[in-house]
Amino acid sequence: MNWESILSFARGPFFQAALLIFVAGMLYRLARILTLGWKPDRVAARGSRFGGAVKSFLKGILIWPFIPWVKNTYSRNPIIYWAGGLFHLGLFVTIFLGAAHELVWKSLLGFGWPTLPTPIVDWLAAGAIAAMIALFVNRLVNPVLKLISGPAEWANLLLVFLPMTTGYMLTHHLWLAYEEMFSLHMLSVDVLLIWIPLSRISHFMFYFFSKAIHGADFGKRGVTP
Amino acid sequence: MQTQTAINTFIEETGSWVASQLEACTRCGMCAEACHFYQATGDPEFAPVWKIELLKRAYEQRFTLTGKLKLALGVDKPIHDEDVLHWSKIIYEACTLCNKCSMVCPMGISLGPLIHDVRTGISKAGAVPADLMAAVNKQMEEGSPLGVTDDVYNDRMEWVADEWEVELPMDQRGADTLVVFSSIEIMKFPENIAAIAKILHKAGEKWTLSRKGREVVNFGFYEGSPERTKIIMGRVFDAAKELGVKKIVVTECGHAYDALRWTAANMMDVPAGIEVTHIVALLGEYVKTGRIKLKQGAYNDGAITFHDACKIQRRGGHIQEPRDILHILAPDSFKEMTPNREESICCGGGGGVIAIKEADPIRYAAFELKIDQIKKAGAKTVAMSCSNCRLQFVDCVQHFNLDVKVAGLSQMVADALEE
Ligand code: SF4
Ligand code: SF4
Repeated sequence: MNWESILSFARGPFFQAALLIFVAGMLYRLARILTLGWKPDRVAARGSRFGGAVKSFLKGILIWPFIPWVKNTYSRNPIIYWAGGLFHLGLFVTIFLGAAHELVWKSLLGFGWPTLPTPIVDWLAAGAIAAMIALFVNRLVNPVLKLISGPAEWANLLLVFLPMTTGYMLTHHLWLAYEEMFSLHMLSVDVLLIWIPLSRISHFMFYFFSKAIHGADFGKRGVTP
Repeated sequence: MQTQTAINTFIEETGSWVASQLEACTRCGMCAEACHFYQATGDPEFAPVWKIELLKRAYEQRFTLTGKLKLALGVDKPIHDEDVLHWSKIIYEACTLCNKCSMVCPMGISLGPLIHDVRTGISKAGAVPADLMAAVNKQMEEGSPLGVTDDVYNDRMEWVADEWEVELPMDQRGADTLVVFSSIEIMKFPENIAAIAKILHKAGEKWTLSRKGREVVNFGFYEGSPERTKIIMGRVFDAAKELGVKKIVVTECGHAYDALRWTAANMMDVPAGIEVTHIVALLGEYVKTGRIKLKQGAYNDGAITFHDACKIQRRGGHIQEPRDILHILAPDSFKEMTPNREESICCGGGGGVIAIKEADPIRYAAFELKIDQIKKAGAKTVAMSCSNCRLQFVDCVQHFNLDVKVAGLSQMVADALEE
């Protein structure tokens, strides 16, 4: 086997299979949760459940990540706020607003969108990689994180780290030849896609549940979430 | 001890509401920084996310592929007897169910309620700490964890009426409002009863006490036993129904308010048309509508601050009322602590913690955060609206020999009533 055929496998059938597993796996997880059953909340509200949920999302997505120091717990663990924030920002920007990825989206969805200039995406990607290293070290030394981290948590970090770094090296032509690095990038992406529904990386889906629940619970009590 | 019962309970409790939140957790550990017990001791086992570990394990091992895989590979262990005993210590002694952690969790996971669910499992397994269980049993048998039997209740109320020359209407059919005190007030802060009676009289409220519904505290709720929680709440609801009142007023007790106001309707059939409210809400309303008038600046004893109770302010929503009142009573000397309002730091004694002797060291340690806040605000007096917080404050002020006065909000209002 040569790199060319590895690449076409990793971009072709393996990618499609991984994508299928990812989508099917996430749908399964979703269905599983939904079918466990919701109990109606019969408590008379003092404030708006819906309003609380909306506020909870607005604060969680648009406000807190950009002014983390306002949180009174920030000073106790600033690294996690900065590294966590930078990692997510870099990740989303690269995946959705990077020129190369946008082409993938276009081929998958049939339509595209404007992208950000490459240097910006580049710096954010580098930032995200640095943030992951910080998060890794933090997980190694923080007593709480040591206690709650098992093999799955380490696998999460590793399996996200690989596509990020190979992708970065690919665009900068570092270390390996283009085809080789591209193959590694695609292989790691495929593995990650399969891993996501099995792991807590799927939190991006359940985030919408927990945040809505949180907001509604505070809202109904007339408290800002 | 029945560990399997605990596991079954965890699984029963896990509907979409619980499961979706367990799935949302990223194991980021940020919630730890919110917990006063972790902050005070640095013990990683006090991290909120670790407190729900049993619930998470039971859920994963029963419902998820990864959970089953982890079990098969020996990465995760099944829940054993030792685990139930171990977590019993963590979640009863080092958690006040204050739910501050849910405000810090980036996923907004309702950790407080989930820890309450863990308590339910452990209570069904029969592994509640002995001190707490003794208080629960006492309340089940005598109607009160502090020994307020029928006779004690009658004696105390008669004495309060005499001592402070207030009217305490008892079992009055046709009254609008049933007022239920906590045994902490009855036994430790009787002046609170007199104060509230005075205010209600002034406001022209048609109110009554009830011998049947004489205890608002709910140790079954602390314990996490749904059966006992319901029986204890039932006593209050039954009294309200019999007397035909329209409103139940919970006095200065937070956990009871959380139970009667925010939990009861989802656990049992609550009588229709009876509103449950808190004394602080009532005070706020009286002041706003002019049913009582307060002397402007009545309090003039140095800087004063307000301690937000987790169950009355953060989880009860009555954040503004005490501030409106304090701005009248102490317009120049009222100072906020930071953080405050819904983000406030818990007193460390709620959730039944103060009833467990073995928790004393960490309970005192957690209070040091409060001392720091009070010092930074430069306050000489701390006002509050929860007797359980007040018990913790009074005990800790003595323990640490602090030069701080502890005040009940109702009493401050009663003292400032315009004639
Ligand atoms: S509810 Fe309060 S006491 Fe319990 S873990 Fe959360 S922050 Fe700590
Ligand atoms: S802060 Fe929230 S998401 Fe993070 S570990 Fe705690 S419960 Fe899980």
